[in-house]
Amino acid sequence: MPTEASKTDDLGAWTEKILPTDLAGIRESERDLLARLAAVGYDEDHRFAVRLAFEEAMVNAMKHGNKMDPSRSVTLSYRVSPERVEIRVADEGPGFDPGGVPDPTADENLNKPCGRGIMLMRCYMDEVAYSSSGKEVRMVKYRQP
Amino acid sequence: MPGPEDFVQVSDRGGVKLVRLRTQAVRAEEEVEALGRRLMALTEEPGVRIVLSFLGVQYLTSLVLGWLIQVHKRLAESGGELRLADIDPQLYELFTMTRLDRLFRVFEREDDAVSSFVGNVEG
Repeated sequence: MPTEASKTDDLGAWTEKILPTDLAGIRESERDLLARLAAVGYDEDHRFAVRLAFEEAMVNAMKHGNKMDPSRSVTLSYRVSPERVEIRVADEGPGFDPGGVPDPTADENLNKPCGRGIMLMRCYMDEVAYSSSGKEVRMVKYRQP
Repeated sequence: MPGPEDFVQVSDRGGVKLVRLRTQAVRAEEEVEALGRRLMALTEEPGVRIVLSFLGVQYLTSLVLGWLIQVHKRLAESGGELRLADIDPQLYELFTMTRLDRLFRVFEREDDAVSSFVGNVEG
């Protein structure tokens, strides 16, 4: 069962969830996140961008981080204010070096099926940063970058 | 009982396999896998020509892009080809950002894509 908690600082309340490694479980959090964006008036383009980046980050954490190991969890934190959306996703895998991921748009990599998730996260969010261990990604989308 | 692959519809248009998707979002793992498997199954026919229409689809993720690339590679080996059509402008950005618009021929409408393989087709 996922657990949920809420913390608050000067930028607004964080919602934190500890989710099992189960791709089907991403939907409920996605629905909640998108509902919060809609509630404070983010437009369709912003909601599309956040949805895509959120899902790519969650899938990466479960598939590549936790290797779909059901004994491992993903810690998801997010907060939504009228000015910005902030998301953190942490897995329990060994971590990775995001700089080591080949550029999927390079000619020699165009026909390789992997590596586009991180790129899309960077394209659609205003800030994407990984922890030094490579186990946690933090993403921010501003309403008006 | 409906299966995860039921949203994928395949028909024959003048020798071209036309694949339509009856869903707004291809995102659930089982749907992505089902689409990938159906497309890969089509590649078993040597030289097969496939048009994948995204009409009505408003959301997909990089997992779908990964499958399309695998299908493209398989077809390249067998002399077949996958062409795409009816991609929502917002989704088309995914293809341009990832430069996959260079890997695939993309058409505005499925009829255009089918015609590009076989000439004018009715029906």
